[in-house]
Amino acid sequence: MSGAGNREAVFPTRMTLGVMKGKLKGAQQGHSLLKRKSEALTKRFRDITQRIDDAKRKMGRVMQTAAFSLAEVQYATGDNISYQVSESVQKARFQVKAKQENVSGVYLPTFESHINEDINDFKLTGLGRGGQQVQRAKLVYTKAVETLVELASLQTAFIILDEVIKVTNRRVNAIEHVIIPRTENTISYINSELDELDREEFYRLKKVQEKKQENAAAAEIEEKLKKASDLEKEKASQKKHDLLPATTEENVLLEQNAAEDLDKKVKGDDDLLKDDEEDVIF
Amino acid sequence: MSAEAMAKRSLLAAIADEDSVTGLLLAGVGQVSNEAGKETNFLTVIPGKTSTDDIEEAFDRFTSKRDDIAILLINQHLADLIRYKVDNYTAAFPAILEIPSKDHPYDPEKDSILKKVRRLFGE
Amino acid sequence: MEGLYFNIDYGYLDGIVRGYKSGLLGGNQYVNLTQCDNLEDLKLQLSSTDYGNFLASHSGPLSTSIIQDNLSKKLYQQFQYLKSQSSGKLAKYLDYISYGYMIDNVSLMITGTLHDRDCSEILKKCHPLGWFDTLPTLSIATDIESLYNTVLIDTPLAPFFKNCLTADDLDDLNIEIIRNKLYKNYLESFVEFVSTEFGQPDLEIMERLLNFEADKRVINISLNSLNNPDLTSEDKLSLFPNYGKLYPNFHQSLSDAEDVEQLKSIVESVGEYQDLFSDVQDSNSGSSKNLEDWFYLLEMNYCKNAFTQQFTLSAIWAWLRSKEQEIRNVTWIAECIAQNQKNRIDNYISVY
Repeated sequence: MSGAGNREAVFPTRMTLGVMKGKLKGAQQGHSLLKRKSEALTKRFRDITQRIDDAKRKMGRVMQTAAFSLAEVQYATGDNISYQVSESVQKARFQVKAKQENVSGVYLPTFESHINEDINDFKLTGLGRGGQQVQRAKLVYTKAVETLVELASLQTAFIILDEVIKVTNRRVNAIEHVIIPRTENTISYINSELDELDREEFYRLKKVQEKKQENAAAAEIEEKLKKASDLEKEKASQKKHDLLPATTEENVLLEQNAAEDLDKKVKGDDDLLKDDEEDVIF
Repeated sequence: MSAEAMAKRSLLAAIADEDSVTGLLLAGVGQVSNEAGKETNFLTVIPGKTSTDDIEEAFDRFTSKRDDIAILLINQHLADLIRYKVDNYTAAFPAILEIPSKDHPYDPEKDSILKKVRRLFGE
Repeated sequence: MEGLYFNIDYGYLDGIVRGYKSGLLGGNQYVNLTQCDNLEDLKLQLSSTDYGNFLASHSGPLSTSIIQDNLSKKLYQQFQYLKSQSSGKLAKYLDYISYGYMIDNVSLMITGTLHDRDCSEILKKCHPLGWFDTLPTLSIATDIESLYNTVLIDTPLAPFFKNCLTADDLDDLNIEIIRNKLYKNYLESFVEFVSTEFGQPDLEIMERLLNFEADKRVINISLNSLNNPDLTSEDKLSLFPNYGKLYPNFHQSLSDAEDVEQLKSIVESVGEYQDLFSDVQDSNSGSSKNLEDWFYLLEMNYCKNAFTQQFTLSAIWAWLRSKEQEIRNVTWIAECIAQNQKNRIDNYISVY
């Protein structure tokens, strides 16, 4: 899982890091919300599926009764009235109205039967005989079609919900398995880049300091030497006075020791840096 | 699907055998007009006379060409003839409903929606 | 005297019809039919009756409509045979019988012409008993005007169209009204034919049957148009045949009746029709007899009685009606079996 493969192409700066962190937070929130939505829809979906199953079976029975009422018509009129019926059709008496219902942000259409009683193309069908049966078959079939319309509503809801759930689940999965890991990767990438920069900067500073200290030490020694020679000169000039010659010797020794110490310290720092480097690599 | 496009869909259409069509027409679903392409909203399928092509054509007409059909009722045994078309139909409008006919009792096993239902529940 | 000469002209046909009559299904056979579990069984049962192997040529799954078609075919063959053997007033009589079916066919053709249907399609739907040679020519007419002026005039039904319908009527009026007007004229002219040509006992039986036919139509029309504001009482009156037991006393009140109760009280004042409405009210519940069933039952009883007289031509009418009822019965039973509605299977009407 190296960060280089799956991350966004961003410039690793502190600002992008902030942006990315915000993004991750948003994604996590969105994920939990969508997940809840998908669960709500699925619940509804299962409910509808159950009802469809029942309704479809019910439809089988209803249609059978309806078909039987047609058989009665046939018995009463003696001959086939289907031609008369199909010829006297003019306008649809039975229409549907589509309405929308909101289920967790999804608009589900529902059909509503709408019967216009003013329209009756079959007033006179079977006038001579069988009219009663025709009217009854009409009623039975109207009821049957109402059941069918109900079923159609359920079925449309089913199809739409199916689609919406699929889309929602796809989103949930995309967030869970793509967006969140990628953002996390990007964040760790930026972090490591920033750390790297930090370390480089620190090393550079150390180097600069070391150089400075070296220079300073060299300068000091020079100074000391100069001072020593000056003292030598002074001594020489003040030999007559013979003022504490041993102290100066001692001083010079001390100076030398201090310089060596500093050298050591710088070297130790270097080692520390090396350890750090290894850590990073690990 | 915008609201007004939905409001326009107010009719039922039928592809069915003679008896079923008669019954549905008695219920008052039939609409006959002079408008081209919208002459009738039902197709009576007579065995031996109506070809599968006719059924397919009517199916396409009711599902994609006309914009005033809300529900298409089709006899299950006729849907079987154009099963691939019915199974591949995914749009929500118009809704397709497979209905039984007098001589062919309803078989839930074949219904394309119920098939989907079963697939979803892994049965 | 009647009996003496009857057999010279009509003896053969009378014999045949009475033979046909004895082939009608009896109560036992109906019981056997209702016991069937599927249509194949039914076919088997029917093959032991007069229908013989009427379904032998059929292969593939059976349906009620196939059974009905084949049963009817048998009837048509028998009737055509009778027609080809008839002569004199008998031929005319048989013609009159077929006129009723012709009316249906012609109104079918008119509907087709009005809606620009393919006429060859409609011809197939026409009732075979109402077939006449010029029927296909009806399809030649493309508009109502020419249909009326050139084609309908040449059909056997022309006299019924005369005086009652103009070309304009064909265009405006509902086909059902036309059909019933034609039927009224047909019944009236049938009665006239019977009363001029037939002697006793033919006349008596035929009058009874035609009376019933007329009354049945009157009652049906007034009942079915109860809630129909499009038909005024004058309109209704114009559809009632001027004949029958209800004529003339009750026609006016029937056409004015506004609900079933009124209708009922009027009809029940005629002795024979007392039972007609006895169970109409709860006919929706299914098992009880409804109006149509009562009509059929009455008609069958009249027909059965018609066979008790010797030397009558009315036996043909009675046989035809009985046979039609029989086909309806068998179709009904088949339908009940096919649709698994055995609780209603006993609704058939059997009198023989």
